[in-house]
Amino acid sequence: MNTPPAVLEAKNLIVNYKQHCAIDSLNLRVPKGCVYALLGGNGAGKTTTISTFLTFNSPTSGAVFIEGESPHENPDLVRAKIAYLPENVALYEMMSGVENLTFFCTLAGITIAREQAQQLLSDSGLQDDAHGKRVSMYSKGMRQKVGLAIASTKHAKAMLLDEPTSGLDPSAANDFAQRIRTAADNGMAVLMATHDLFNAKQVADRIGIMKSGRLVEEFDAHTVQHDELEQKYLAHARGLA
Amino acid sequence: MITAIIRKEFIATVRDGRLLTLGCSLLLIFIGFLLASTFQLQQLRQEKESVGITAKEQWNTQSVKNPHAAAHYGIYVFKPDLPVAALDSGLRPFIGQSLWLEPHKRNLERFNPSADDILANRFGQTTTSFVLYALLPLLIVALTFNSVSQERERGTLRMLHSLGVNANALVFGKLLGLLAAFSLVLSPALIVALILLQQNFTLSVDDLLRLTLLLLLFLVYYTIFVAIAIAASAYFKTSRVTLFCLLAFWLGGVFIAPRLGAVAAQSLTPNPDAKQFWAAIKKDIDQGINGDGSHEQREKAFEAQVLAQYNVSRKEDLPVGFVSLNRQFNDGYSVRIHALHFDRLRDNFTLQQHLTHLASWLGPSLAIRSLSMTLAGMDLAHQRHFEDAAEEYRHYFINLTEDWDRGRSHGTERGAKGEEADWRSVKDFDYSAPDLLFALHTARLDIVVLLLWLALALTLLTLSAKRLTP
Repeated sequence: MNTPPAVLEAKNLIVNYKQHCAIDSLNLRVPKGCVYALLGGNGAGKTTTISTFLTFNSPTSGAVFIEGESPHENPDLVRAKIAYLPENVALYEMMSGVENLTFFCTLAGITIAREQAQQLLSDSGLQDDAHGKRVSMYSKGMRQKVGLAIASTKHAKAMLLDEPTSGLDPSAANDFAQRIRTAADNGMAVLMATHDLFNAKQVADRIGIMKSGRLVEEFDAHTVQHDELEQKYLAHARGLA
Repeated sequence: MITAIIRKEFIATVRDGRLLTLGCSLLLIFIGFLLASTFQLQQLRQEKESVGITAKEQWNTQSVKNPHAAAHYGIYVFKPDLPVAALDSGLRPFIGQSLWLEPHKRNLERFNPSADDILANRFGQTTTSFVLYALLPLLIVALTFNSVSQERERGTLRMLHSLGVNANALVFGKLLGLLAAFSLVLSPALIVALILLQQNFTLSVDDLLRLTLLLLLFLVYYTIFVAIAIAASAYFKTSRVTLFCLLAFWLGGVFIAPRLGAVAAQSLTPNPDAKQFWAAIKKDIDQGINGDGSHEQREKAFEAQVLAQYNVSRKEDLPVGFVSLNRQFNDGYSVRIHALHFDRLRDNFTLQQHLTHLASWLGPSLAIRSLSMTLAGMDLAHQRHFEDAAEEYRHYFINLTEDWDRGRSHGTERGAKGEEADWRSVKDFDYSAPDLLFALHTARLDIVVLLLWLALALTLLTLSAKRLTP
């Protein structure tokens, strides 16, 4: 069977912070249309992995690739292919959702009209009456929807999510997971760092468990049940695996 | 990309309540000070004009008397203030308001306001220019100290970075956006200032050019502060550290640098006290300089020269008044000695000013302060220009009275008389302040310093962009 080409790929990635090894020999690949959930406790290296793809930090050795190109060698071209959604979608408080979306899209080189922006926000699930309100009045879920709208406008090849459902109520988390699934089904490669086992099982195609910077286990999400996933996760967290 | 950043920065700053609150407060303070100083300047100009007319009329209506005695009555002259002086009173509080012109002696200005002021005011006066060079930069610091660090703290910098935003475009976009937002405070201030000055004074083309240049230089000054604030905000990891450093920079530039410079200048090149100054002039007149001989020796030589010139053996036989002739000779020497000491004193003032300006490396405030004073015509150079014109006028009217005295007497008798028609024939002191070119020539070093600060600030901004990490 042919292996589909990876949109996101880490090869023998090592990232050290001074004396501390944050990522140790990480190998992972996320092909087109795949949602890859990275599980692990605090300090496992999930966020560092995502940050390395975003060039927020550099590999000590090894490399990451986006559609075969190193973002550290060609940051501008590669960033155009990535959408990023952090745990807390950072928006400008003094501006409305529409203004934020228009601003971020312009920075990404995409010009959209106000009506288009409103449509995109509606498509991302943001209520119409919130479009013109200042973001300082938005809940976390509403901000995530603006973030999702930014990501979808970019027509990115890959999406990097860092704890996207943390702090969302179950309904909002479920809604968000479905939107991620739709994005993947439309061909996007998604790498998602999360603590949320339920969400990971619900949306992911592959799951990797990280511990102390190492990818300690990787499996097909469709082959495990919720209970099994929880047991695997806890076993690694408790050092029993 | 940069247009979007400028627009976003402008909108975010304008919507931030701090600009509205602080900006409006500052605008009100500025308008208050400007109203007060405009009123004060207008009153001062009227007083000077009215006292000048009265003093000249008193001169004109002197009774029949000896022309030299009339000259001793003296004439008061006043330095006219430019309308721009409403924005910056400069050295006015420390320099006299009038010059009394009399024979034999060149005087220093009289009636400086600081001498009559209450003690507390000598430790710092708040003027319109203080709002412009000290308080407005504080508003800039208050609004820009977290311009980048806040983005880092809130996570928007990571978002921008993930979108591939060019760091240079980000920091320069912020610079232009913030300047555009601050112009919302500056523009009403400028409009109010123009209306007030236009209503209270007749503005010449030179005045308007001075105002325009002053505005441009203040824009450069504010750009320096905004650029340094953004650079600091990008360089330091937290808003708190950035604020602390920017306040130290503001404090150092506005308050510490001028004082340090002044103390250093006074220590390195101290001014003589008044007693020493006048004693040195008297000594040089009495003893002579460069081998000219003493007062008595010079007088004897002059007498011999005059007697030989008119081919007489006694002063009493001279066809012209010798007393006046001798006085004019002595005055000529006195003028030379006075000029020597006055120039030395004023050169020392200038040297002190240059030494003080060495402290400009601590901050750009000293340079803009000096530029503001120069463009307002309230600096040392404009003062010196006025004093030189007044001294020239003193020579004119003293020589005129001596001509009358000498021509209307002979020998050693003192019977020469002058009357009202003579006194009225003395021309008025018609002084015009030098033009903008003079001011520009005077301020060239300060302009260079300010532009160097601008270059440094923009370089720091560019360097900070290179260090901009989420």
